[in-house]
Amino acid sequence: MSLLSRLKGMFQIHRLERDLDEELRSHIDMRAADNVAAGMSPEEARYDAQRRFGNSTLVKEETRAMDIVGWIETAGQNLRYAWRVLRRSRGFTMVAILTLALGIGANVAIFTVVHGVLLRPLPFPQPEQLVRVYDDIRSSNTHDIGMSVPELWDLRDHAGVFQDISFLFPADANLTGSDHPERIELLGTSATYFTMLGIPPQVGRIYTSSDAQPGFSDPVVISDAFWHRSFGADPNVLGKKIRVDGDLYTVAGVMPPDFRHPGRTLAADVDVWATAGLTADPFPLPVSRASRYIPGAMGRLKAGLTLAEAQAQLDNFVAQLSRQFPDEYPAAAGWSIRLVPIQQDIVGSFRTELLVLFAAVAFVLLIACVNLANLLLARSASRQREIAIRLAIGAGRSRLIAQLLTESTLLATISGTAALVTVFCLKSSLLRLAPADLPRLNEISLSPGVLLFAFLISIFTGVIFGLAPALQTARTSQIAALREGSGGSGSSKHQMKFSRLLVASEIALSLVLLIGAGLLVRSFWHLLEVRPGFEPRHLTTAKVWLAVPNNPKENSYFTPEKRAAFQREVLRRISAIAGVEQAALGTPSSLPMEGKHAQSPFAIENRALDSERTPVAEIASVSPSYFSVLKTPLIAGRFFADSDDTHRQPVAVIDETLARRYWPDSDSDAIGQRVRLGVPTNQNQSTAQNPWLTIVGVVGNIKSDGFDTASAPHIYRSVYQAPSYAGVVYLRTSADPGTLGEAVRAEVQQVDPTIPVFGVRTMDFIVSSFLAERRFAFELLGIFAFVALLLASVGIYGVMAYAFSRRTNEIGIRMAMGAKRTDILRMALTEGTVTIVLGVVFGLSGSLVLTRFLQSMLFSVKPTDPATFATIAALLAGVTLLACLVPAHRATRVDPLIALRHE
Amino acid sequence: MGKPKPDILQGTLDLLALRTLVRGPMHGYGITLHVQRVSKDVLRVEEGSLYPALHRMEQEGWIHAEWGTSENNRRARYYRLTEAGRKQLLTEERNWARLTEAVATVLQFA
Repeated sequence: MSLLSRLKGMFQIHRLERDLDEELRSHIDMRAADNVAAGMSPEEARYDAQRRFGNSTLVKEETRAMDIVGWIETAGQNLRYAWRVLRRSRGFTMVAILTLALGIGANVAIFTVVHGVLLRPLPFPQPEQLVRVYDDIRSSNTHDIGMSVPELWDLRDHAGVFQDISFLFPADANLTGSDHPERIELLGTSATYFTMLGIPPQVGRIYTSSDAQPGFSDPVVISDAFWHRSFGADPNVLGKKIRVDGDLYTVAGVMPPDFRHPGRTLAADVDVWATAGLTADPFPLPVSRASRYIPGAMGRLKAGLTLAEAQAQLDNFVAQLSRQFPDEYPAAAGWSIRLVPIQQDIVGSFRTELLVLFAAVAFVLLIACVNLANLLLARSASRQREIAIRLAIGAGRSRLIAQLLTESTLLATISGTAALVTVFCLKSSLLRLAPADLPRLNEISLSPGVLLFAFLISIFTGVIFGLAPALQTARTSQIAALREGSGGSGSSKHQMKFSRLLVASEIALSLVLLIGAGLLVRSFWHLLEVRPGFEPRHLTTAKVWLAVPNNPKENSYFTPEKRAAFQREVLRRISAIAGVEQAALGTPSSLPMEGKHAQSPFAIENRALDSERTPVAEIASVSPSYFSVLKTPLIAGRFFADSDDTHRQPVAVIDETLARRYWPDSDSDAIGQRVRLGVPTNQNQSTAQNPWLTIVGVVGNIKSDGFDTASAPHIYRSVYQAPSYAGVVYLRTSADPGTLGEAVRAEVQQVDPTIPVFGVRTMDFIVSSFLAERRFAFELLGIFAFVALLLASVGIYGVMAYAFSRRTNEIGIRMAMGAKRTDILRMALTEGTVTIVLGVVFGLSGSLVLTRFLQSMLFSVKPTDPATFATIAALLAGVTLLACLVPAHRATRVDPLIALRHE
Repeated sequence: MGKPKPDILQGTLDLLALRTLVRGPMHGYGITLHVQRVSKDVLRVEEGSLYPALHRMEQEGWIHAEWGTSENNRRARYYRLTEAGRKQLLTEERNWARLTEAVATVLQFA
């Protein structure tokens, strides 16, 4: 019985028992039938049949013992023997355990992350029903343009696919009432938000539809972290008031510690949830389809509806709406609504990255397995006599294979345990390596799933690296092995060939990893060479948020003029801070490489709607000094002036990308042209629209979405004409950002003591955090590739060293006959080269197939970049060739006399 | 219960069962019948020892069991001799021959 069916037997004890019962019953039936045929009465017949068994339970017990104890005994014997063998060769055991523990540990570590982030369902009831709802403009391939209030109502009441839908409005908010104002993260939602997610609070209650009000409702729900921070986890928190953006709210409930809003937030986890009806102040009124100020929405699909069905129904619904409101949704724009499963939405691009890393560690483990298989093969040569004797005294080959596999599995299990313990101890420091914006970071843990994975992978590893050598060994011809014994020169040619094949496959695997890492490194270099369009050094940024009280009468910044005045004053004051060369101010979307930069549709005056794709651009408001503080060059026209305020004609500055796209002949052609923000509509429409903006200048491109995306077109507005409540200040200075933050806070609070200053960071820091995600992938892959290279070199070194030690005798003869050292080296070189070339060819073809999965992680490097392929292949060939020359060189240094006598 | 018929000599059960299976796959009951019939009722296989022995030999890999249907349409577990079982049978037959020869020699000598 093979090991496998023995293992199966262990899990099938019940079946065994049923089988046995049935077997005995069939025996009794047959005997009884024969007895009846011989003339007994049926009762007598049955009684006689049973009697012959004596105590039938005892028989069953005894028979079953044969089945189960049989294999347990053999397994136990195998295990004890394996333990003895491993203890006898300590060196081998240590090397094997270290190698395997490294491989298994890396796999367990990465799997822990993959499990926590990708595999484990989100902690909500029926998480597969939860979707993010995005508005897109298909004609210009623009995603996520925001939603209008009537659209939200349409989706809620008429689309027929959602059980619940909630808008998501992440916002900065000012918490006042204590010594100094604090910026908190607020999430505005529909009243159905919590019932949609299906998570109860730990204290108090959640808000529900009965709390709905036209504007913001009074009860708010707070997070566990905020409860601890602001209330010291006071159990009597319910009913307490907090002042947010000037208004008082009542704390109605506290969410549990592990509850996180499943989606994007502005800067941190949500502190306070508030619900609003969107039909009263402070929201823009009256509601209109053109006013897409809702940043996003999330819904729960009706039970039993698949994503595809829901999407199809929604497509029909959107087509119907577009027919109903042709002015708001011109056919040319291609307005559409897209559903994305919440898990996919959260994980985003990390999915590919994690899977690539997972594949990479699997490769490392495979390489480690191949290395060990080779070691085992070499060892099996020295164990051949032992094996031959065991065969000779009657051990079955399957029993031998089981024995050898027990050894390798025991090794792998010990290593797996060591790896698991290591990962467990190092967990927190390992997680610190992960980029901070890795989603679901808090859900990563050593769960039962991970333990099961570690167990399975250990067993699997043991079988993988043990199987080939075990089969090979069990094939040993007894006679040959007994005779061969002390290792003649021509020994086991077959086995050497097999080892070489293993080494070649090891080289191939390492090459694939190295090429992958090489491609990522090149991408990263390219990234670093990209000119972002601004100078990040000596630039510090900070954020401010003007409170928006619900009652416009209490809002001291209700009019644009008021906001503009505040901004002018802040700018004047911070420019005067000692050490600041120049300061600027802008809306949050003016801050490059951070957050989400949405593209909005716009119209160009006197251009037909249907003739081209809907134009889109990123929109930001900036102060006149913005471009000079960021060191972005002026290409045509002028920058904004201090006088570009609400009394003057509305103006815009565009960037080169936009100018080239719509006025390709000359950059200055754009000057004097007019654009209007919002989805382009029929121009003779009389509905309220945004004003036309006259283009006064063209500036250089700023890579606002990061180094690796094509430059998005930008439209800038004067911050004095379009001031928002949120602001970012920029300070060109070499002063320490730490003390600078305090100085900015002091100046801002001189203007208004209720305004917090937060998010003080240098631009260098923002850029390097942006690069951190890329760095994470390529650093880890780089480490894995390096380990692979090391293992492969050790592997080929080991095989060559072993081959030459077995051939010391032969080399001695050759040298005695007059062969020169170079001849011997050449011989080694030829033999090594065959293996290496084989490995490199396999590796290159494997890479050609596999590197395409890296596509989305590469930047201006093709997945089949010939330079990378050639360089890495040459490097690997060089290193491995060296690894096989060293033992050859050593062999030639042996005194021929000693070599000849070598046994 | 009366005096039992002469029990099978310790250790010969394997030999008899293996030998019976040379004729082809057979179920446990068939083996008892066969042994009894061929030995003209002299040898009798105890059911209580037969099944543990069969299962032990299955573990050793000498025989292989499979469910089948008996001549009168009953589900029964059929045992088949494996290659290893054939070898084992040879060994046991040789042992048996040696043993009986030795016993015979002793008897003649005395």
